[in-house]
Amino acid sequence: MKVLEIKNLTKKFGDFIAVDNMSLSIEDGEIFGFLGANGAGKSTTINIISGLLRANQGTVDILGKNTKKNNKFAKMNIGMVPQDLAIYEDLTAYENVRFFAGLYGLRGSELNERVDEALQFVGLEDKHKEYPKNFSGGMKRRLNIACAIAHRPKLIIMDEPTVGIDPQSRNYILNSVRKLNDMGCTIIYTSHYMEEVEEICSRISIIDHGKIIAEGTKEQLKSIITNTKEIKIEVKTTENINVNEIKSIPGVEVVQVLDNVVTITSDNGVNNLNKIIQHFINSGIEISSLQENAPNLETVFLTLTGRNLRD
Amino acid sequence: MNIFNIAFMEVKRDFRDVKTLAFLIAFPIVLMLILGTALSKTFTTSIPIKNVHVIYKDTTTNSEFSNYFKEFVKASSKSDIYFKSASTNQNGEKEVKRNKYDGYVLIQNEGIKLYLNESNSVEGSVIQGMLASFVDKYNVASEVAKVDRSQIKKVFLPNKHDYIKETSINAGKQPSSMDYYAIAMTTMIALFTAMSAINLINGERTRKTADRLLVSPVRKSEIFIGKIFGSMVVNFFCLCLILLFSKIFFKAYWGNHLGLVLLLILTEVFLATSFGLAVSYLTKSSASSRSIVMVVVQLSSFFGGAYFKLGDPSGVLGLITQFSPLTWINTAITKIIYTNDLSAAIPAFAFNIGLSTLFLFITIISLRRREGL
Repeated sequence: MKVLEIKNLTKKFGDFIAVDNMSLSIEDGEIFGFLGANGAGKSTTINIISGLLRANQGTVDILGKNTKKNNKFAKMNIGMVPQDLAIYEDLTAYENVRFFAGLYGLRGSELNERVDEALQFVGLEDKHKEYPKNFSGGMKRRLNIACAIAHRPKLIIMDEPTVGIDPQSRNYILNSVRKLNDMGCTIIYTSHYMEEVEEICSRISIIDHGKIIAEGTKEQLKSIITNTKEIKIEVKTTENINVNEIKSIPGVEVVQVLDNVVTITSDNGVNNLNKIIQHFINSGIEISSLQENAPNLETVFLTLTGRNLRD
Repeated sequence: MNIFNIAFMEVKRDFRDVKTLAFLIAFPIVLMLILGTALSKTFTTSIPIKNVHVIYKDTTTNSEFSNYFKEFVKASSKSDIYFKSASTNQNGEKEVKRNKYDGYVLIQNEGIKLYLNESNSVEGSVIQGMLASFVDKYNVASEVAKVDRSQIKKVFLPNKHDYIKETSINAGKQPSSMDYYAIAMTTMIALFTAMSAINLINGERTRKTADRLLVSPVRKSEIFIGKIFGSMVVNFFCLCLILLFSKIFFKAYWGNHLGLVLLLILTEVFLATSFGLAVSYLTKSSASSRSIVMVVVQLSSFFGGAYFKLGDPSGVLGLITQFSPLTWINTAITKIIYTNDLSAAIPAFAFNIGLSTLFLFITIISLRRREGL
């Protein structure tokens, strides 16, 4: 069953097209990844899905029902974990979850149970009487999640939930995502951290300039660029580097220079490593280290868009 | 139910904001104490009512009534209330408007019409009270005459002008400086609640909780009403505390119609809240909202007599004071307390509710145009 279906979605802000005729569907039980650089249209898309923004064109169906005509139904089945923390610092952790869960029609003992459940799920049950102003960043993020899941939504949207937190909390959140999925939730996970998306998402959409430029499982996406390899060369100085000259080497497709690292995407079928190294030597460019990488989503993104995910 | 949940959350959060609460309660109490004691000598214990001058025209064909009215006029002069008959060419209303007389009485067969100069509110109340008492007595006398004409004298004893004593002013009670500043500070701080209203919705946007509220199945209107309701409950509670404190510890006099006074103050809180909200939607930043509200509140406080009594200003100053919400609410409260004139509340209610409705209308239009809160 399709939990979410978007058809021909378009959103404009003045003349700027943030979402450009986007269509996609998400099946029940998926962890669906939205991958894209900042400004690609990820947040705008999920804001339309969650009802925060109105689309200029197109439809959004949640569990088979149009969100415009069944607004309340759609909202009852969505849980939103926003990128920015959306909690009240002057309410305790318990009060925060209780207040937001109460907005979904939960009352009495059922409400209390769900609040306890949500806090337990994120590991904050022993902090329920404390105020978020005394929490670490990771704990606040976990509370942020608890506020979104107490009403047991069918679809959970997580917008960059691990931004700015320590690795331990990050792992906790990723494990929580898997647990939620095991419990029957469908999850939309947006991030510009390729590693996270690769780790937990069953299907991924790559977005750029408001359009989906590629969609599929990790393997399907990587297969787009199996014919390419990535060579990363760390140099002492980038003074003498001429990108066009490197591009002229047979097989070289894309050359990027960032800090002191030259990233070359090259045709996998062309054995040009020696020629590349020779070029660097002839140009007087001192090589500190060299690494040849198997294709990953970062490479897929780079190949498809010509940019890095974190540009 | 969501409205109450949101309101309750707002109340809980506001009561935990101890610094703001302390300011809201302590600031007016301290000002009351300072101004009430420091300026006590500028307030006399009795408000002298200057000679009251009334012009009248008797066009009735009821000679009996005219005679009794003449007796009434004679007796009034003993209390420094002077009636003068208008000449044929004189327009009594114009005379009153020009402030040459405090009131104009037109006696017709259909009844008595009274025209008052609103700037002389106390004198106007005296005239009104006296005439009401006279008319009551006359009606009683007429009924008595129908039964037994000889008993009329018991109703109207020419030497006894008790109809003057029946006016609604409690001559023994005049506002002291503390009484004055108890009212002035309470109503002033009610206006200051506009500052907290700026952040009612802005605060949700800043905290990013606005998005979480909107993603839930709660209507924008429910969020809006809940937030306003919660804020008003807290602010009104604080004002009640201030009023009670002034009554108990400063012995400020709040009259016999405390319920009506509190209702008026509640409408002022409503006005301030709706004003703060409207400004927050019309301006681009919280800083500019705060500046605008602060300027308006301070000017209203100054021209409304919050810091010192302005008396009865005329000309441009008089006109400006009429625009201050504190002028119309303090006038209404003073009349209710010191002349028992409950109808004085009506204009203040009308202004407060009317303006609040306008501000809320502006806010709702802005809210509808936006995506989100």
